Amino acid sequence: MAKAKKEVISIQNISKIYNLGDTVVKALDDVSLSIFENDFISITGPSGSGKSTLMNIIGCLDVPSIGVYKFNNELISKMNDSQLANIRNEKIGFVFQTFNLLPKLTSLQNVEVPLIYSSLGKTKRLARSKEALNIVGLSDRMTHKPNELSGGQRQRVAIARALVNKPSIILADEPTGNLDSKSGTEILKFFDELHKAGNTLIIVTHEESVAKRAKRRVKIFDGKIASDE
Amino acid sequence: MNNIFKNILIGLAAIRANLTRVILTSLGLTIGIFTVSIVTAGVSSIDREFDKSMEYYGNDKVYVGTWPWSFDFDWWKYRNRPKVKENSLDYISQYSEYITAASIKKNTWTRASFGNKSSWLQLNGVYPEYQDMLSGTKVVNGRFFSQNEWDLQRRVIIVGGTVRDGFFDGKDPIGKKIRLNNVTFEIIGELKKQGMGMVPGGTLDNLVIMPSTTFKRILTRWGFDELVLQTNPEDMAKAKEEVAMIMRVARKIKPGQDDNFSVNSADAYQEQFDSLKIIIAGMGFLVTGISLVVSAIGIMNVMFVSVRERTKEIGLRKAMGATNNNILVQFLSEAVAISIIGGSTGILLVKLITLALANTLPVEFDLVLIFYTFMVCVFIGVTAGMIPARTAAKLNPIDALRHE
Repeated sequence: MAKAKKEVISIQNISKIYNLGDTVVKALDDVSLSIFENDFISITGPSGSGKSTLMNIIGCLDVPSIGVYKFNNELISKMNDSQLANIRNEKIGFVFQTFNLLPKLTSLQNVEVPLIYSSLGKTKRLARSKEALNIVGLSDRMTHKPNELSGGQRQRVAIARALVNKPSIILADEPTGNLDSKSGTEILKFFDELHKAGNTLIIVTHEESVAKRAKRRVKIFDGKIASDE
Repeated sequence: MNNIFKNILIGLAAIRANLTRVILTSLGLTIGIFTVSIVTAGVSSIDREFDKSMEYYGNDKVYVGTWPWSFDFDWWKYRNRPKVKENSLDYISQYSEYITAASIKKNTWTRASFGNKSSWLQLNGVYPEYQDMLSGTKVVNGRFFSQNEWDLQRRVIIVGGTVRDGFFDGKDPIGKKIRLNNVTFEIIGELKKQGMGMVPGGTLDNLVIMPSTTFKRILTRWGFDELVLQTNPEDMAKAKEEVAMIMRVARKIKPGQDDNFSVNSADAYQEQFDSLKIIIAGMGFLVTGISLVVSAIGIMNVMFVSVRERTKEIGLRKAMGATNNNILVQFLSEAVAISIIGGSTGILLVKLITLALANTLPVEFDLVLIFYTFMVCVFIGVTAGMIPARTAAKLNPIDALRHE
C-alpha cells in the first residue's frame, strides 16, 4: 500500500438541523467523510438531498449543528465569524455556477479580491494575481471586465481567483452549469490538470458526465451519504 | 491598519460607481452645512463688528443724554425732557468720586465738501480733554486740537478715515481745507481707519471732531448734546449711580419724581445685542439641525439601497474571506464619504460667497469652522451609515450569495 495521504478534511457525525416552527428538517443527518490531499471528489445528489448544505459546511460558509469538522486538523465547528473568514480566505478556493465576478472590476482586480482580505502588500498581490491568470491562460485579458469575456473565460477568471491564494482545497459548485458543452469540457479538462498538479478538488454537481471525471464519487440522498466509491 | 485602508478604498470605489446618486444624497448635507456655516460666520462676524463698535463707546465711559440707549424705548416719555447742558459738568466734576475726566459731546451730521466732491459726515464738538478719552480709535496722523484753539474757537478738525479716501484719493489730508456746512475748516489730525460698524452712530470713519466752542458758533442746525464721562471699568456701576444722583441734584429733581435724563453705557447695547444674537443663532441652528437630521436620514436610506443592491457582492466578499468588520468598514466609509462630499461642497459654497461678499459685507470665515464642519460630517456619516453597514456586515454569506 502506498504511503497514506494527508487528511485535509475530516467530518465526523455531522448533522445540520433546521428548526422551521413545528417541523424539524435534518438537511444533513449524521454524515462522516474524509477528504485527502490531491483527492478529486464529486458530490452528487438530487436537489434537496443536502449536498449544498454539505458544500457550505465544507466551505466554512456554515457550521454544523452537531458533529466535528476538522480542516487540516483545526477544529472548524466551534469557530467564530472572523476565524471562519480567515479559513475561507486562506484555505478554500470557491468556484461558483454563476461565476460571481464583480462586474465593475477587471479580471485582474477580480482575481485580486481574496488577496485584499489577506495581509499581502500591493506588489505581491498584483504579482500573484497575474500569475493565477497566467495559469488559466488569460494573461491577455487582464484589463477586461466580465461583460467583455465569454462564459468560459469568466469561469476561468473565477478559477484563477480560487487559485490565487494557493488554497488547500478548491470547491466548485456546479462549475459547468452555466456553460455550453464546449466551454464546459474545457473547464473540466482544466480541473483534470489542476488535479494532476496536486490540487485537492471537490466538485458539487448533478451532471453524471461531470461526476464521472472525478476519481472519487460521493452520492448524497436525504441528508445521508448513499455511496462513496 | 492597512486592512482598514483597503476596505475604505473599496467603499470609495462604490461612490465613483454611483456618482449621481451620491451627489443628490449629499445635497441635503450641503444645504445643512451651508446654512450652519453662514449662520456661524454671520453671527461671529456681527459679533466682531459689534465689539469693534463697542470699543468706540468704551467700557470705561458713562454717557449722559436725553434718551436711553435702547432699541425699544417709548419715545413719547422722553420727548419733553430738557436738553443736556454743559453746566451739568460743573456739578459732576465738583461732586463725583468716580469720574476721572469729562467732556461735552455735541453731535450732528452735515454736508462736507472738497472741490466738487461732497459727503455726509458725523460731527462731534468736544473739549480738548477728549483727546485722552478717545476709545476704539486714536489720532494716528497729525494732532488733536489744543486748549488754545478751543478757547479761540478755531476752525480745526480731526477727521476719520473716509475723508482721506473720499476727498484726497488716499493722500495725506493734514493741512488741507474742507468745507463743512459751507464753512472752511483745516484738517489737523486724522483718526485710525476702522472699517464698518454695526451700532447706530458707530461709524468712526465718517467722524469729524472739532472744538465744542467752534461747533457752537458755526453749526446751529439739528443735533444733540451728550456728556461723556470717564471712569474705571470696575467702577462703572457705581459711577452710573453716582452720576444719576448728581444730575438729579443739578436739575433739582424732587424725590419721587422720575429722572428727566438718561445715564448710558455700552453694556446696555451689549445686553440687547446678546439677546438678539441668541435669537439669530437659535433660529439658524434650528433650521440647520433639521436639515442635518433630514440629510442623515437621506444618507441612511441610500446606504440601505446600496447594501441591498450589493448583497451578492457582500456574500462573495465574505466567501473570499472578508470578515464582518471588513464589510462594516467598507460601507461605513461609503457613508462617511457621501457625508464629506456634501459637507465639503457646502464649505466651498460658503467660501465662494464670503469671497464674493468680502468687499460689501465684512463676513469672516475661519479654519476652525472648516474643521468643525468636517467633524460634523464624519459624525453624521458614521451615525447614518452605522445601521446599514451593520446590516451588511451581519449578512449570512450563503443567503447573500444566493440573493438575486
